[in-house]
Amino acid sequence: MGIGTTLLEFVSPFMELIAPLVPGETFPYFFTMEMFQRAMLSALLVTAVAGILGTFLLVKNLALIGDGLAHVSFGGVAIGIVLGATSPLLYALFFSIAAAILIYEMQSREILTGDASIAIFLTGMLAFGLVALRLGGGGITTDIEGYLFGNLLLIDEGSLDFITIICIISIVVLLFLRNGLLATAIDPISARVQGLPVRNIGLLFSVTTAAVVVSMVQVVGALLVTALLVTPAATAKLVGTSFKSCLLWTQFFGFFSVLVGLYLSAELNTGSGSMIALVAALIFAVVAIFTTLVRSLFNPSKNL
Amino acid sequence: MEPKIVQESEQTGPILEVENMTVFRSGKPILRDIDLKVFKGEFVGIVGPNGSGKSTLLLSILGLLKIQKGTVRIFNRPPASIYLFGKIGWVSQAASNLPRDIKITVQELVQLGTINTRNMLRFISKERRECVERAIQMVDLQDVRTSEVGRLSGGQRQRAVIARALASDAELIILDEPLVGIDRESRNSLLKLLDNLCHEQGKTILMVSHDLAAIRQTSHRMVFLEETIRYDGDTANFPDLSELADLRGIHQVHEHKHSHSKKPRQVEE
Repeated sequence: MGIGTTLLEFVSPFMELIAPLVPGETFPYFFTMEMFQRAMLSALLVTAVAGILGTFLLVKNLALIGDGLAHVSFGGVAIGIVLGATSPLLYALFFSIAAAILIYEMQSREILTGDASIAIFLTGMLAFGLVALRLGGGGITTDIEGYLFGNLLLIDEGSLDFITIICIISIVVLLFLRNGLLATAIDPISARVQGLPVRNIGLLFSVTTAAVVVSMVQVVGALLVTALLVTPAATAKLVGTSFKSCLLWTQFFGFFSVLVGLYLSAELNTGSGSMIALVAALIFAVVAIFTTLVRSLFNPSKNL
Repeated sequence: MEPKIVQESEQTGPILEVENMTVFRSGKPILRDIDLKVFKGEFVGIVGPNGSGKSTLLLSILGLLKIQKGTVRIFNRPPASIYLFGKIGWVSQAASNLPRDIKITVQELVQLGTINTRNMLRFISKERRECVERAIQMVDLQDVRTSEVGRLSGGQRQRAVIARALASDAELIILDEPLVGIDRESRNSLLKLLDNLCHEQGKTILMVSHDLAAIRQTSHRMVFLEETIRYDGDTANFPDLSELADLRGIHQVHEHKHSHSKKPRQVEE
């Protein structure tokens, strides 16, 4: 029994406790049936980490790296499936981390600046995965679709353990690194003058990002990872007034998107990943329109 | 251990000592045979035209660029030595260099200045909080302590970055073009702040700027840099325009009846 299942055993009584209060016909199953509980727990875990990570990604102006690494992990999953691996996510983890380190090195050595290196890895590894799938004799099966668009019900005990371990380690790493990360993101020269290990911080952050992205692939799908990684953090930036408040708002918007998304997907019988992504984007739109309106109504003369 | 080391170096020699330094960037010599000594409590202004190597000089002093020849010693240590962390404050050109779209308050920004390798992983302590508060008071930003840095004026933002440098209790403060993008009034109060830091807090200041008038107003000593040091001495004796032209090897264009299409600047190697 792994750490994920232990955690589930710990929280499932609480979930069952609030189940009667949960609206909807299908949605309460997410709080009572073990398979759905697993799905719910992993979605919430992933959201918490993705929020913290996303806030830092936005500070570093690296919003698209999540998307790039997610495609790389999909390529890794495909290769794992072709090779007959029992847990293709481990392949995804390997390729994702390798790509993250290479992208970091290319950017810091200025071989390629900006998003170009992300674009190359994104398309290259996706293509490699698709070619491998075809050559391996398979095509896009439901299993593989689950990795592309996310399928919470494919999360078995092994996956839950995998997701839980990655999430816990990543949260710890990010909490410890947060000051150093912020300092290097805002002013790398100053950080180096202060003696911070800028390179190691950057590498560790890249590896963490890669791992978190892989843990998210089954929950929201490789194509939709950015929705949970960047959208809540971007919404938080509209309402937050300090870095700390942005971190907290991100958690709020993230959990809100996931709960509403899961509810709607259960009731309307749609894919969970796509519904979560849609809800997150809608929340951003509503908050963006609202804050702009408020600002132009109350401070019409202020230049922003 | 550490304060003792500093005291010794204070008594025995300069805080910053650059000897015979040459720096190449992308194969071209940017700085050549630089000799510079800075003593405690000095306010040294470095001026020079665009591309004269001012920023390169600062980055080399900080140990962020490799030098091809010569030596740099700060507090009698090689640059980027762990003994120097916290002793040097770096102030960048805040008006343009700080990312604008990050929601971060003045307090949070200044707090980043107190981080070093030892306390990076820890939560903020009471002493660090006090350092932050003191630094904010020194630059007179108490009223906007919890405001977003992105919403401050250029001058206030520059003060916030200076406070970040002060938060580490730095003794040597290095400023790169702190006056760019700042209106006239803020510039004067900023210069007054730097003057205070030098005279009342006993900080040593090394400031790069292309604003000759501003540097003349505050610094005791001026260095004119154009590939190599062409003047180094009291601000009062800083050469006037024609002497400066001689130093730089610029010839009067009109006397020689050169047409305007000719490059007005000819720098002799």
